[in-house]
This record gives sequence, structure tokens and C-alpha cells, in this order.
Amino acid sequence: MKKGMIKASDGFERIVHWCMAISCLILMVSGLGMMFHSFNFLAVPVGGLKTLKLIHNFSGLVFIPSLAFAILIWWKEAGIFEFPQDLEWIMVAGGYLWHVDKVPETGKYNPGQKAFFWAVAGFGIVMIITGLVMWFPLGLPVELVRWMYPLHALGFLVIFPFFFIHLYLGTVGVPGSVSAILTGWVTRPWAEKQCPKWLKEMEEAGKLEVSK
Amino acid sequence: MSEKIKLCDLSKCTGCRGCQLACKQWNQLPARQTVNTGTYQNPPDLQPNTWNIIRFQEISDDSGVDWLFRHDACMHCTDAACVKVCPSGALSHTEYGTVALDGSKCIGCKECVFACPFEVPKYDAETDKVLKCDMCYSRIDNAMEPACVKACPTDALRFGDKDEMLKVAYARAKELGGDASVYGDTFVDGTHMVYVLPRKAAIYDKLPEKPRVPLSVVAWKDWLKPLSLLAAGGVIAGSFLHYITHGPKDTSGDGDQVSKEGGE
Repeated sequence: MKKGMIKASDGFERIVHWCMAISCLILMVSGLGMMFHSFNFLAVPVGGLKTLKLIHNFSGLVFIPSLAFAILIWWKEAGIFEFPQDLEWIMVAGGYLWHVDKVPETGKYNPGQKAFFWAVAGFGIVMIITGLVMWFPLGLPVELVRWMYPLHALGFLVIFPFFFIHLYLGTVGVPGSVSAILTGWVTRPWAEKQCPKWLKEMEEAGKLEVSK
Repeated sequence: MSEKIKLCDLSKCTGCRGCQLACKQWNQLPARQTVNTGTYQNPPDLQPNTWNIIRFQEISDDSGVDWLFRHDACMHCTDAACVKVCPSGALSHTEYGTVALDGSKCIGCKECVFACPFEVPKYDAETDKVLKCDMCYSRIDNAMEPACVKACPTDALRFGDKDEMLKVAYARAKELGGDASVYGDTFVDGTHMVYVLPRKAAIYDKLPEKPRVPLSVVAWKDWLKPLSLLAAGGVIAGSFLHYITHGPKDTSGDGDQVSKEGGE
């Protein structure tokens, strides 16, 4: 490894991230295959919609602990908005949409990522509860079960855009980001741009891990 | 093919349950052991292996005592909530306006069980499938009446073209007078089983007064589904546009100095 790389994530974070990412991806593709008749063909490779339903349900069982750990790991760094600096960042959209001379400095995660955290945490829990009811609905009040389906669809409506923007900005949109969640190491210029305040605080506290 | 209607004139029903039995015979649905619950109504509700039942109901009011019999089965809605929610296409409309069920396509998701305003589809745990009356598609497609209609000894059940049956229904309701009404043609864009009810609809057990596709189904299928496609397409297109117009963020470090110089 090159010298001077900065450690941005630990092994446990990366495992949880990828358990969640992969289960979430399978859930979205299989869910799409059941939600739209025009996407029914997605069930062909696995041998039919019934199998697709099973894949969807059991991927959900992987998603549940992944989400629980994700919330535990990231709520402190990505779950708490800090005012007024986060508001200032939001006012200029973090410099992502138009040219901004000086983007307000953020900690480890910027307000956009914090919004992503809350969307996934909040609607992830909605998806889990509604999904479990849909899986085992017999004996429950009809009116209750009926509303689980639109809530589940609403979850997709909210999570997918956040997921895709996360995917875009985590790869080609912000070059150098993927390694943060693949190897855990990022370059110093990347960290200076993406999490300047975190970098300073870690350095001051002497906790920053730098490759030698 | 013209739309068909099964007309169910409750003023003529004697509660003989010939329809219930004929359905079992034609559709090969052997009975399962049940228990006596103190009523002729047996089994107590529609089941995966019982696609129509006679509901027995005793009522007493100012006018005296009445014993009501109601032939209960799938209403075959035009705007059918079950067809709307079925993810696999197992439930579908036929050329007769009835709602058919293709068991081989059913994945046992139970979405129709909760969508139906009449609570007709029933889930069978043994086969992991949902079952319901299909108005004897195998018979009506061969120019025969449904088995229940064929068996009915009093003509309480009749089967025919939609227009003709509705004419008969309204004439009969008028003839009966009083609280008598026609039930079915004005809901969910018209059902393909239509009742002539001698009493007010609200009196009958398990018969919704104003059945409609549940709001949750409308919210889910008519609003959230297209919205989610729009949102998903929007961010994919938006991200691409962002990349080719705004471009990726410069995190290399060299650009940093350039931008600083530019700013100063």
C-alpha cells in the first residue's frame, strides 16, 4: 500500500455494509419482479415467482440483522445533524449541484449521507415490519394487513432513490470513495475533501490511522 | 363473447344447499370434517375446499321472525381488487367478465385474501395456494351453466347474458316491493354475481353495504406503483445528467489548489 493512506472504516463496518448492500439489492430486484407484471421475467432465472418470493423473504432475514448493526454502528456519526453547519451545507447542496467556492466543512458524514442514514434506518424498519406481516398475515386484522402493502411500496419509493444516489456518489460521482468501503483506506486529499472536520479532530486526538 | 351474470334471487332460496354440494361435485372438492356449531351453516365460512355456502341467519324485529338464506360465493367484480393485487397473473378476467384463477400460477402470497372486499379468496396451507369460485369456467366456456345454477331446484340461481339478467333482477325487485333491491351492478363497476335481496342489504351477515376496492389497494397500485417507477427513473436519469453536466467531484488533490487559486 502507498504511504500516507488514511483508515476510514474498520472490518466490521465493511462486513455489515456489504451484508446490507447485497441483501438490499436482492430484495429490490426480487421485489420489483413481484410488484410489476412487466418485471415478472426477473423470476425466470430462478425458476418462477414462487422461488423469487422465497428468495425475497429470506434475503429479508439477512437484511434484518444487517440493518440493526448498521444503525448501531453509524447512528452517532451519521444519525445526528449538527446545526448550524449542517444547514449551511444543505443551503449550498454540499457543492454537488452548482459551483460553490467554499463548501462548509463536515464531519465524517455530510448531511446528505445523514439523510440517507435516516431514510434507510426509518424505512428499513418499516420494510421489516410490513414485510413480516405480509409474510405471516393470517389471523391478523384485515384492515391492518391491507395497509402493509402500500407502506411496503412507499418504502421502496423512498429507499431506491437514496440507494441509487449513494451508489452513484460512492463510485463514479466521487472518485476514490469505493476503497473506503472495500479496503477501508482512502487518500488524504479525498479525506480532506469529504470529511475535513473528522480528519482534523482525529489528528488532534492522535487517533488517525495512517499507512506507513 | 358477452358478459354473463349469475343472478341470485334470495326470495326464492329455500336453503337446500344443493348449490353447495353441486359445486363440490363438479370441482372435486371433498368435504373435510367439521363440527356442529348450532346452525345449518356448515362449514361456518367459505373455505379453500368450499367455494360457495348458504349463510343461515335468524333475525327478529317488529315485523316478526325471519330466517334468511344467502348463497355466498365470489362476486366476480369488474374492478376486481384481487386481480389488481395478484403479482403472478394467477387471477385474471375472462371474456365473460368473471374472475378466473389459474392455480398453477398462484404463489400463495395471500395478497388477494386481504384485498377482496367480500373476503372470498381462501388460502390453503396444504397446497400453499389460494382457491375460490371461478364461476365454473370449464362449464360456462362450454355453453353450460355453473354447477350451482344447474342444481338449484327453485330457480333462485339463474345464469345468462348480463343485460337480460339485470332486466329480470330489476323486474323481480319491483315485484317484491318493500325493501327489496338489486345488489351488485352498481359496485366495483358491476359484479357478475348479482343478488335480488328481499330485505335491506345491511341486514345480511358478511355482506358489505357499499363494497369497493379498498383505499389501501388504490394507494398501492394506482398511486405508489407509478410514482416509484417515476422516482427510480428520475434518479437514474438525474445521476447520468449530473455526471455529464456537473461532472464528478475532484478528490485528487491537484484540483484543490486550482480551485483555491480561482477563489482567491
